[in-house]
Amino acid sequence: MSFTALLQAIVDGVLTGGVYALMAAGLTLIFGVMDIINIAQGVMVILGAYLSYELSVHVGIGLLPGLLITVPLMFGVGVAIEFCFMRRLRDQDRTQMSILVTYAVAIVIEGILTAIFGVDYQQLQASYVNSSVHLLGFYLPDIYLIGFVLAIALLAGLYYMLYRTKFGRAVRSSLQNRTAADLIGIDVNRVRTLSVGIGVAVTAVGGMVFGATNSFNPNTGYDLISRLLAIVILGGMGSIGGAMAAAVFILVINDVVAVAWSPTWAPLVYFVALVIVLSFRPQGLFGRAAVRAQ
Amino acid sequence: MTGAVTQTGDVAGAPAAAPRKRALTLGVMLIIAAVFIAFPVVVTDPATTSIAFFALVFMVAASAWNIFSGYSGYLALGHAVFFGTGGYAVAVAARDWHVAGGWPVFALCLFGGLVAGLVAIPVGLVALRTRRHTFVVVTIAIFFIFQLAAYNLGFTGGTSGILLPLPPFSAANFNQPFYYVALVILVLTVLVSWLIRRSRFGLQLLAIRDDEDRALGLGVKTRRLKLTAFVISAIPVGLVGGLYFDFVGQIYPQFAFDPLFDLSIALMAFLGGLGTIVGPLLGALVLESLQQYLTQTFSSDATYLIAYGVLFLAVILVLPRGVVPGVTEWLERRRAKAALSAAHERDAAVPTGGVAGAAQ
Amino acid sequence: MSNLIEVKGVSKAYGGVKALSLCDLEVHEGEINGLIGPNGSGKTTLFNVVTGYERIQQGEVHFNGTEITNAPPDRVFRLGIGRTFQLTRLFTRLTVLENMLVATQRDEGWLRGVMRLAGSAGERRRAMELLDFVGITRLAHEPAANLSYGQRKLLELASLLVADPAILLLDEPAGGVNPTLITHLADRIKDLNRSGKTILVVEHNMEFVMNLCSRITVLSQGSALVSGTPDEVRTNPAVLDAYLGGEDDESTQLELAQEATHHDGTRVSVSPVRTPERSKLGDSPTLLSLRGVSAGYGGGDIIKQVSLDVPRGGITCVVGPNGAGKSTLMATISGLLRPRQGEIRFNGEVVSGLTPKQILARGIAQIPQAHSLFPDMTVHENVEMGAFTVSEKALVRQRMQTVQELYPIVRDRADEKAGSLSGGQQRLVEFARCLMLDPELIMLDEPSMGLDPQTRKMVFGMVEQMNQQGKTILLVEQNARAGLKLSSRGVVLENGIVRLTGSGRDVLEHPEIGALYLGGAVTSAADGT
Repeated sequence: MSFTALLQAIVDGVLTGGVYALMAAGLTLIFGVMDIINIAQGVMVILGAYLSYELSVHVGIGLLPGLLITVPLMFGVGVAIEFCFMRRLRDQDRTQMSILVTYAVAIVIEGILTAIFGVDYQQLQASYVNSSVHLLGFYLPDIYLIGFVLAIALLAGLYYMLYRTKFGRAVRSSLQNRTAADLIGIDVNRVRTLSVGIGVAVTAVGGMVFGATNSFNPNTGYDLISRLLAIVILGGMGSIGGAMAAAVFILVINDVVAVAWSPTWAPLVYFVALVIVLSFRPQGLFGRAAVRAQ
Repeated sequence: MTGAVTQTGDVAGAPAAAPRKRALTLGVMLIIAAVFIAFPVVVTDPATTSIAFFALVFMVAASAWNIFSGYSGYLALGHAVFFGTGGYAVAVAARDWHVAGGWPVFALCLFGGLVAGLVAIPVGLVALRTRRHTFVVVTIAIFFIFQLAAYNLGFTGGTSGILLPLPPFSAANFNQPFYYVALVILVLTVLVSWLIRRSRFGLQLLAIRDDEDRALGLGVKTRRLKLTAFVISAIPVGLVGGLYFDFVGQIYPQFAFDPLFDLSIALMAFLGGLGTIVGPLLGALVLESLQQYLTQTFSSDATYLIAYGVLFLAVILVLPRGVVPGVTEWLERRRAKAALSAAHERDAAVPTGGVAGAAQ
Repeated sequence: MSNLIEVKGVSKAYGGVKALSLCDLEVHEGEINGLIGPNGSGKTTLFNVVTGYERIQQGEVHFNGTEITNAPPDRVFRLGIGRTFQLTRLFTRLTVLENMLVATQRDEGWLRGVMRLAGSAGERRRAMELLDFVGITRLAHEPAANLSYGQRKLLELASLLVADPAILLLDEPAGGVNPTLITHLADRIKDLNRSGKTILVVEHNMEFVMNLCSRITVLSQGSALVSGTPDEVRTNPAVLDAYLGGEDDESTQLELAQEATHHDGTRVSVSPVRTPERSKLGDSPTLLSLRGVSAGYGGGDIIKQVSLDVPRGGITCVVGPNGAGKSTLMATISGLLRPRQGEIRFNGEVVSGLTPKQILARGIAQIPQAHSLFPDMTVHENVEMGAFTVSEKALVRQRMQTVQELYPIVRDRADEKAGSLSGGQQRLVEFARCLMLDPELIMLDEPSMGLDPQTRKMVFGMVEQMNQQGKTILLVEQNARAGLKLSSRGVVLENGIVRLTGSGRDVLEHPEIGALYLGGAVTSAADGT
């Protein structure tokens, strides 16, 4: 394996890592604010992909412009799910129960998608999907670049929202001390609902990029969520920065292994890394130790 | 056995149930046993007996899963690992050791169970380093590792899997040997579950479920207990895994390591009542029969998935503790209400006795 | 007499807070030892360290000569150290008898452990004997969740005894428990001691400790101050100082216990009690009133039929022993908890049943007991968050300026993370944040908790200052003396019921108040019960 191939793999890893980082950030945000692990995040990415597919194939709206529709739609899906299911979880055993509930929701969504679209594999098409840029001897596929730029932009937006807006402060304070947030007059329930909405809305973008770079069918959600979970746990649940770092880290290793050894074994890396890290540091790389603020 | 199921399932033996009640329980158990034993002889339709077989398999799996997750409170969502491992162990052994189909392969199922148990040791050691929800996710991760391994390792036959040797049973009586072997495994599993439930081991597991740190502070060796329960719960799953894939005749990765399996057994145990003995059995019987019926009626995957998910949600949100505890509680409430109204009818207020000062 | 437990030079810090600082402790074998000290002095942390629930980097713990520093809790228990918790911990889904059987120690092989029944006949008999000993035999087959507060304490104690530990560490066994039960507990502890067990008790209840223990160690600010017989401790001036600085309720009890006269000279004088003078024309003198309010968290009512009035412009102080329901009262008023029955009126308007946000909007703000700042946000952000519900930016800026005048710390340390400030400084920031809303009524839940005497004085000074600015204050205080001295009105809560009300001075000097704290019964009430 040549050095250029290695570097190419690293570059690829970084680019795809950005997109995974975005989806993982959504997942970890939901956990941080709600103490809920959204197993359905994977299938929601697929849902986002199918939405983009429908828009581009049957309505004629391109992938990028289509985002203007799919993002709000997915936001609505997130809000609906929080309202219908997550809110009903009692505080005791909340996280464990949330895993079961969201797993069930994932199955329902998968069922609906299968009913509508069948099990055939699809892939999103656009003029820029197969073209790439030559830069410094590297191939940078356009779609990866676009996805990466989008991801970075959205993550930056997320950071801005969290640290510079009033709502963001409400989110962070609900995260850090729920009782105090209540006593200040923050509508913690509303904050939670909106956070889930945001956490899911990002899957619309992830879905578009993922769908353009991979063939997918309703079943692909499982593979995805397992990777996202690995990333989020590795980075530390509740830490957005951690999710980002972990995403890039894992994706780079994944791509390097794929090139250096074998593409089929590459995904194994995710889980082995996860298992190893958790054995020594159960809270992940950047996570808080078991006890949280309140 | 059924009599031991109260809400908390008093292990330490509540005042001995009246002899009449015990006779009744015994009678019911005998009738149920008779039904189970006679079933495939009476009902010969192969489609129905197949469903019965699958139901038995899941009853074993749910019951075994309950031994760990129900008693200790740690939700393991990766038990499909043991199902598939058992299956593959049998398939690989049958292929490489040239074992003939039928009863010799049944004997191999023991090997499948053993392998599953052995695999559970390192898996348990790794997974049990984490707590509660991280634990759940780690079990999911390990599950996917195994699925990937099955796809990629040479000896597992890759994507197309392995064919198991055809049993020499006649077409008419094909299902019966499988059914009875599964029944035997079921009886053994339930027996083990019951023994554990009433033992000190089981009591300490339940203590871990309620307050693990305090249990630790009372001298309970929590790590050892959890691992032991985990391994014990893996073995029956491996046993029926081998049996199941022998019945089907083929094993391949997607099928052997199916996330729906994990969810199913969890759902079955929840539906019936997590932590009880009868609960998982009831849940599995109902759900698996329903599932098979649905697959045979609606050939499409989609409707079946949706129905399943919706049912799951309904159970979790409406009956979070499951049918058996829910019903038991309801009965107890009725009984308490009746007792209360009877007490109100009596004119004199009965002074509450008890040690002075202790009762507040 | 050998030392059963020896603690040497133990230090334990949580972030910036030093819970234990080079702490030493000796527990003599065969004695009943007491561990007392003001709030926040490190008593429970010490227990946690000894029993392995907390790890330490510095110091050593020895048991009967063996070193057990940082040993895990199960090993500590098996060696013979049993321990109860401040908030009782039980296995709620198991029955009382099953709870007892969990701790039975058996040396048997793995397989037998799985096969054999949970409790052998002998073990069960012993468990029942122990239940008999504490007096809850008839509850043997009840789910532990159904037990009352007092019964739970008894069960927690009994379940330790199953393993026949050599020493028992009891964390506030008498806390929040009714007087008859306290006597019962004291008797049982004496019985256990007579049968050879060593006991170490942490308690706030002075009479309980003084009567029971042969040796007492006083902790203050994370280290051992004094150790000796009850008489020695009572008369040691350093001990009185440790308590007196903040005018603790325990110091009240110490004084009452020794029937000494007041040492006015050594105490900081607090400005005389202020009676409410101003009242706007037409405003009723009562700002907040409760009538027949009962509330709880699902397990039953914690406050029962509480009725009280908070006069406009004054400081009202609610006092009472641990577990009396003071925090629950606050939570109910601020809307975090819905009252099961009863009515709360603010400025004549009914506010019971409203959400916290709505109650906030009407002008009631609360500073809760535990630290309520957002640790990862800066001081400035924290204070700004106080005005979260205010939309006019100009108003927010103006208030920020006012607040910065009053509390320079907001300006001086604006960009530091709130979590890095000391306890007292955090309190100041909390006050500042509260004032951003310009509330009419400020509720303070134990503002001086966990603070050293100097900071306590400062905090009470700040409370007075806020009152002088026209805010009505409702104060919950464990330090009855300090709180009541400050207040124009006093309310004594005990086991969720109002026992005494009156002017601050009257309540403080009421002859029964000492008895109330020391566990006796109240034979007469000042006005309204």
